[in-house]
Amino acid sequence: MAMLDWLEARTGIKTALGHALNEEVAGGARLRYVFGSVLTYLFMQQVVLGILLAFYYSPSASDAWASTAYLNDQVSAGWFLRGLHHHGSSAMVVVVILHMLQVVWAGAYRAPREVNWWTGLAMGGLVLAFALTGYLLPWDQKGYWATQVATGIMGSVPGGEPMQQALQGGPQYGNLTITRFYALHVFVLPISLTLLLVGHLALFRRHGVTPPAGLSDAELKRKAQPFWPDQLFLDVLAMAVCGAALVGLTYQTHGAELFAPADPASNFVARPEWYFLFLYQLLKYFEGPLQIIATVLLPGAVAVMLFALPWIDRGKTRKAKDRWVALSIVGLLMAGVTALTGIAMAEDAANESYQHGLEVAEKESKQARELALLGVPAAGGVAVFDNDPKNQTRKLFKEHCGTCHTIEGKGGSEAPSFVDYGGKAWLTALIRNPADKRFYGGTKAHKTMEPLTVEAVSDAELAAVVEYVRSLGGPELGTTDAGLVAQGKELWAGKLECSSCHEIEAGKDSTGPTLAGRGTAAWIARIIQDSSAKDLYGDTAEMPKFAGKLSPAEIEALAQYVAEQRPRE
Amino acid sequence: MRSSDERDPPEGGEAHDLQDRSHGTESASRRGLLKAGIGVLGCGLAAIPAVPAIGYVLYPLGGARVAGAFLPVGERGQFSATPVRVDLHADRVDAWSRERDVKLGSCWVVEQDGKLQAFSTACPHLGCAVDYEPGEGKFKCPCHRSAFTAKGEVEAGPSPRPMDTLEIEEKDGLVAIRFERFRQGVPHKEPV
Repeated sequence: MAMLDWLEARTGIKTALGHALNEEVAGGARLRYVFGSVLTYLFMQQVVLGILLAFYYSPSASDAWASTAYLNDQVSAGWFLRGLHHHGSSAMVVVVILHMLQVVWAGAYRAPREVNWWTGLAMGGLVLAFALTGYLLPWDQKGYWATQVATGIMGSVPGGEPMQQALQGGPQYGNLTITRFYALHVFVLPISLTLLLVGHLALFRRHGVTPPAGLSDAELKRKAQPFWPDQLFLDVLAMAVCGAALVGLTYQTHGAELFAPADPASNFVARPEWYFLFLYQLLKYFEGPLQIIATVLLPGAVAVMLFALPWIDRGKTRKAKDRWVALSIVGLLMAGVTALTGIAMAEDAANESYQHGLEVAEKESKQARELALLGVPAAGGVAVFDNDPKNQTRKLFKEHCGTCHTIEGKGGSEAPSFVDYGGKAWLTALIRNPADKRFYGGTKAHKTMEPLTVEAVSDAELAAVVEYVRSLGGPELGTTDAGLVAQGKELWAGKLECSSCHEIEAGKDSTGPTLAGRGTAAWIARIIQDSSAKDLYGDTAEMPKFAGKLSPAEIEALAQYVAEQRPRE
Repeated sequence: MRSSDERDPPEGGEAHDLQDRSHGTESASRRGLLKAGIGVLGCGLAAIPAVPAIGYVLYPLGGARVAGAFLPVGERGQFSATPVRVDLHADRVDAWSRERDVKLGSCWVVEQDGKLQAFSTACPHLGCAVDYEPGEGKFKCPCHRSAFTAKGEVEAGPSPRPMDTLEIEEKDGLVAIRFERFRQGVPHKEPV
């Protein structure tokens, strides 16, 4: 206490605190006054959490997703703090609405509190701006695509394009978008909100609470209670309920979702956060030139109407029956917003392609976040998928094989294509005409195997030969029909004379490659190592030897990759 | 027209009267309870972000140290009794990002009594890069004049300990070294 007195003598802190806390609450403390305090608490908590997130978050197109994934999935309690911040924004929207409804119900927007009302409306707008700017920051698919829609709307209104470009830092999203949104979210908006909040609170102190309309002046005075501790206790109790709900929600959802890194080349099922769904739904009803009704005119009209509410309300007293016009307007507005939100949710729940899109997105998110644990390649964002061994093999293929071979629709045509490699259709086409561009047509020396005309071998006979060749690959290539295999074997040695060039035993020298194990990963790996082995392509081999150039593991991975192109039959 | 709620702000000192007006000790003890409640709930609310924040801001300090892998530096034949400086490259994960094939540091590799030995180029004194003087057959630090014998022992200058050896491995004629850094300025070699 002595220390407090010492401090008081020098700073007057006790007096200042007493001044802040000693306020008469006319008509007594009430639960209906708690919303403003709960919002103040939520805002302060958001600020603290935001600062904590900034300990790890890095605002750049290459680092944003990776740093968010790191803080969410690796840093201790990162998921919890980020989850609280995420759900905290939803909580703020909910409490803003409750606060506004309480103010409207009590008639607290009326003279002399119009400026309280306007500062409150402005802060409500800022809360939405916080949500919009914060959504983009993780630079994940959902934030990226949902925000694209928002800025796209901005660009579609007359004169909005320069605004959109200024906000994005150019015609496209990139580093400049993220640094702008970051600066807005962590500096501009919090400072603006704080200034407005100071004004709002000062005005609140000036005018006091708005007690129930039915109480007389004498009753108000008689029932009055001090803010400290009577009202503050109720306020803190409400904050505690809100805080506990937030903690519960955060645990239950295991924090905030984080989708795969933003991929401008993908098509993601973009949806805004739940509190913007009504606007999203509204957009569905106004197409083409009418779109501006949903994007600007209706929201603008609502904003103007709320702003003008103190004048729209011509009631003689604050009693509800005298203010039915104002109450009905706000009531209808809320009903409309609720209905639109409900319809949007119901439509999405019934929308199969959306649900499927969500499933895909969640799978991708899981994969990306697992791969991110290894560290995201410096290129950032979608480069995280390069950590996938499969993608490394793809890269390897592109580098060493793709100039001549085509795979997954990409590559050269100087050597056989691996699209559907080794499947029945692929084998049939190959045997029918090896000189086709799809097979050896692009090579220099592989002209030895003659095409087979339909006169020489019927489609049915060819199918039997293909079945026989498949059977030589062994069980790895799938089941075969024994009858067809036997028929094919006969054609093979007899009429078609395949056996004069191709051996069917491993290791035997032959003109054409041996067909024992043909198409299996092990057989392909041997070709990659050295296709000029005597039992493979021998003297006719044109493909470079990769043994020594690539590691055995790399060769195995490539062989596996090619073998996997075989369709399931 | 003024409606009932349009009051002037409360006069200073009026709040003080409120306490006196209320019902004496019963009310005083009730308010004492409320104040305690505010204190308890307030602390609880502050704890929601504050408690997890402690471990959060300190991450990843105190985590288990992971020994680095052996990094290939060349073939056995490249090295002899004359020290050769080699760079050690590996993938490096810096918090969330991974860089491929980054130069982690370098070391001197020298053959002694038929066996290879690797010395970190970081001077144990304050971490400057130690050079080899072929004419004198000594390692010398350019910053504070520490000098070491070809075996890495301190010969002169402020270095508190011999040059730091690194683990070295020979397999199939290939040499690999495990890169580590050590605390500077202390007499004992301590990994950091």
